[in-house]
Amino acid sequence: MTQTTSFDAFTMWKNVYEKTESTWRDAIQDTLGKESFAESLGQIQSQYLQYQGFVNKMTESYLKQANMPSRDEIANVASLVINVESKVDDLEDQMDVYKIDTSREIEQLRKGLNNLDKKLDKVIELLDKSIVAQNTPKVTDGPLTTTALNATSTKK
Amino acid sequence: MVTLDTKQFDNWIDRLSEDKNIQQIKRLTEVISSDAEPEVGQTPKEVIWTKNKSKLYRYQPAIKKTNKVPILMIYALINKPYILDLYPGNSLIEHLTNKGHDVYLLDWGTPGYEDRNMKLDDYIVDYIPRAVSKVLKTSKAKDITLLGYCMGGTMTAIFTALYPQLPIRNLILMTSPIDFKDAGHYSNWLDKRYFQLDKLVDTLGNIPFELIDFGNKLLNPISNVVGPYISLADRVENEDFVLNWKLMQKWLNDGIPFPGESYRQWIRDFYQDNKLINDQLSVRGRKVELANIKANLLNISATRDNIALPQQIAPLNDKVSSKNKTLHIVETGHVSVVTGRKAINEIHPYIEKWITDNSK
Repeated sequence: MTQTTSFDAFTMWKNVYEKTESTWRDAIQDTLGKESFAESLGQIQSQYLQYQGFVNKMTESYLKQANMPSRDEIANVASLVINVESKVDDLEDQMDVYKIDTSREIEQLRKGLNNLDKKLDKVIELLDKSIVAQNTPKVTDGPLTTTALNATSTKK
Repeated sequence: MVTLDTKQFDNWIDRLSEDKNIQQIKRLTEVISSDAEPEVGQTPKEVIWTKNKSKLYRYQPAIKKTNKVPILMIYALINKPYILDLYPGNSLIEHLTNKGHDVYLLDWGTPGYEDRNMKLDDYIVDYIPRAVSKVLKTSKAKDITLLGYCMGGTMTAIFTALYPQLPIRNLILMTSPIDFKDAGHYSNWLDKRYFQLDKLVDTLGNIPFELIDFGNKLLNPISNVVGPYISLADRVENEDFVLNWKLMQKWLNDGIPFPGESYRQWIRDFYQDNKLINDQLSVRGRKVELANIKANLLNISATRDNIALPQQIAPLNDKVSSKNKTLHIVETGHVSVVTGRKAINEIHPYIEKWITDNSK
């Protein structure tokens, strides 16, 4: 009896990948951990930066000749905008603090006024009482007292 | 008159289109070349503050916030932060907001050439404190939870150490390197004797994303470059897998330049001189002492992470003064700590529970 198995490209890729990965994993990790690898990376980096530095200088020189702003000059304008925005942010923060301080002061003032109002009410009440006390004739058991008589005569 | 019988040829073509291999190749070609990119970062959000290119987002403002302590997420200067809100059902931000947390994200934006002089100091001293203040003001909360991912976590730890007077209740760091004594292959490649840091920054201004991506892929070249395509070919008929594959590829290839001066500082002070863990780092003239960190600490480390190795993460717990500190080790990689099945089923709920428990 013959058994037919269909070819599955994906399973094959997966198997190839898994075998390659497991075979090379340790070797690759060893290489990556070597000092010589870091040294090589440093050399590649150095060459790349030398090239990039050259490109930067050439571009800058071209832009200068073409009377066009360089990246640095445009970035400087952006920095100015950021600085202004930062100052606005600072002002907003200060306004917040100022608002809190002001509302606290207003609250204290309001309390002070309330206290003063209450005290004034008391003073007025006391004054009223004292006036009433002065104007009320003292009634005794017998005839009118001298004070009451005087008050009556003054009214006349 | 000549007649051509094409029936057999047509039959062969018909049979060919039914072949499983051909269908797979067709779908594979579609996914790689013509399929639309999935939409990322879909959780509703509003911008509550901006500064330069940075934006501070508040997520799902309409949802009732049942947790009193707001969460501010601080992202790295590498890649884009939508990995924290990748896709509905696969998003740390969505998970936390759905549980009633008030979540904010500080997105650094895409730096331009004009930002090449931005140092880490600028981000840590000029941006993060203001973002914290805006979050506290918006949420009307008394204290805050900070969550940093990758390098963003390192920056968050430095910030927390520099500002012990701020009401930082919880600090969550996800795969954030702190000790650079052994940073794997990076320690070798960034060796002062060979790596020309100053020349690189002076020549390029900002460091292009491609250069950083090259370094990351070089850590494991075959599986990083060929591996994803083998996996895709193998499971191209599984639409869920294809969606996640497309999401990951989109994020991995959607990088941003690294501001030049920040890069210089990041490589020199951290990878080459290992200043942070040894209390030698200064930020705008102020010494950074990790012992100043008193907030509750959740430090998450991933065993299969080859970017922030577990030995770079764990030492923080010995340096901080926090009484409540946890080192949580997960069996994931650097990115799968925040996205993917394990993250959705285990890590997101763990973080949510830890925050809730420590926010009462």
